[in-house]
Amino acid sequence: MSAQPDSVLESAPTVLQVTQLNKFYGQLQALRDVSFDVQRGEVVALLGASGCGKSTLLNIAAGLDSFDNGELHIEGQPASKFKSWHKLAYMFQEDRLLPWRTVRDNVGFGLEAQSVSRNERHERAEQALRTVGLADFAQSWPHQLSGGMRSRVALARSLVVEPSILLMDEPFSKLDPHTRSQMHQELLRIKAASGATVLFVTHDVEEAVVLANRIVLLEPRPGRVKEIVDVPLAHPRLPTDRDTAELIRQLRLKVTP
Amino acid sequence: MSRATPRFWVHLSQRLVLAVGFIALWSLAASRMPDFILPGPMKVWETMQALFFKPTFLHDVGITMYRVVMGFLLATIVGTPLGLALGSNRTLAGFFEPLLSVTNTVSSAIWAVFAIIWFGISNATTIFVVFMTAMPLILTNVWQGSKNVDKQHVDLARSFRMSRTQILRKIYLPTILPYFFSGARLAFGFGWRVSLVAETLGSSDGIGYRLRQAADLVQTDQVFAWTLTLVVLMLALEGGLLKPMERRLFRWKPV
Repeated sequence: MSAQPDSVLESAPTVLQVTQLNKFYGQLQALRDVSFDVQRGEVVALLGASGCGKSTLLNIAAGLDSFDNGELHIEGQPASKFKSWHKLAYMFQEDRLLPWRTVRDNVGFGLEAQSVSRNERHERAEQALRTVGLADFAQSWPHQLSGGMRSRVALARSLVVEPSILLMDEPFSKLDPHTRSQMHQELLRIKAASGATVLFVTHDVEEAVVLANRIVLLEPRPGRVKEIVDVPLAHPRLPTDRDTAELIRQLRLKVTP
Repeated sequence: MSRATPRFWVHLSQRLVLAVGFIALWSLAASRMPDFILPGPMKVWETMQALFFKPTFLHDVGITMYRVVMGFLLATIVGTPLGLALGSNRTLAGFFEPLLSVTNTVSSAIWAVFAIIWFGISNATTIFVVFMTAMPLILTNVWQGSKNVDKQHVDLARSFRMSRTQILRKIYLPTILPYFFSGARLAFGFGWRVSLVAETLGSSDGIGYRLRQAADLVQTDQVFAWTLTLVVLMLALEGGLLKPMERRLFRWKPV
């Protein structure tokens, strides 16, 4: 939970660069001229009310959705030429654990798309489970776990592929507040250890401020960037701290309901 | 068994009481009626023992099993891909749905009559009847199953860049398996029963044929002996194969 030294971030290469991106669903414009970038090792939040296209934007960055014009560069390459998609991991809003797989096999799921031997897969899955503190539950079934534990398993499943970019779509929004802040600390700890870059979507101002180095504030209909806000606060950030609370308050005023 | 809990003993004693009560009632009823209407338990037991040592016994049981299993396997081979196809294509499903309803309303006995016209007295007759009964059941269940594939799970697999074949194997199949299994079980049960009907009409061996033979000669004890043999066989299949298989395959399900 150490604070990221800012000097490292400034010299880091751009991992993700979105330039003048537009996306239409038929006549409806979902995204208009969206531009922002994510530096290596950074945590960036896409913050906005519903309808501002944050999930669409994340899906585009993950290569799961197309865009109409503009540019998307991943690790310096145009998305169309980018081949190392396995360096990206995507964490969904729901845990999406497969009920017919044990916890360990759920965590190892992503590795089955790569040429990794069964033994190595099991080893890496168990390693990832240790990271999220669930080593004892490797042989359990998903239905035996609590919501918070399931969320940890989903996190482990994203981590097991050793992603350099972790994309998250409101990953903790379905958890109760206590478990959610536990997961926030967990995520920051793991992120500090692995040095991964994190881009996540949220409609929760507090979550954005607690986690992110930078916040891309989006406006709805059509989705566009309103402002990009730096968060220079040191970790750990408690929502009750004076500076954190003040920033949360200011941002709340800016988020269009 | 390590699972011999008090509940297990309660169950066992309940079953015993039921069996003893049934046999007592049966004996009482049989003692007041001639053997050709209702033979007593002892008489049936003797006939059953004699039956087991008849040279044709294993052949009859074997050939009936063979027909049921063949019809069932064919139904699986045809029904599963058709169910998958209907599940993945709404237009196709809407188009063929009436056909399925019609097939379901046709009685197995009618299929048996058709089978005799088309295939005469042969294995094909029984296999066809089993197939026509089992196939729609398997098809419908696989279809239901493939409609229940969670798009979120498919997207998860896509996010890891899995191929179509991988998605089919790792998401579709495990989702459909419970539906397939309950369909297959139903199909096997129905298939087994209709095979006897088919055999009474259109074959010269097998359990169904022996049943009709016994009925024609008014050997009521034979009919009872075959019936009991069938019940035992089915219970053994259920408890020895289907139940353990289900427990193993679906051990991930919440109890």
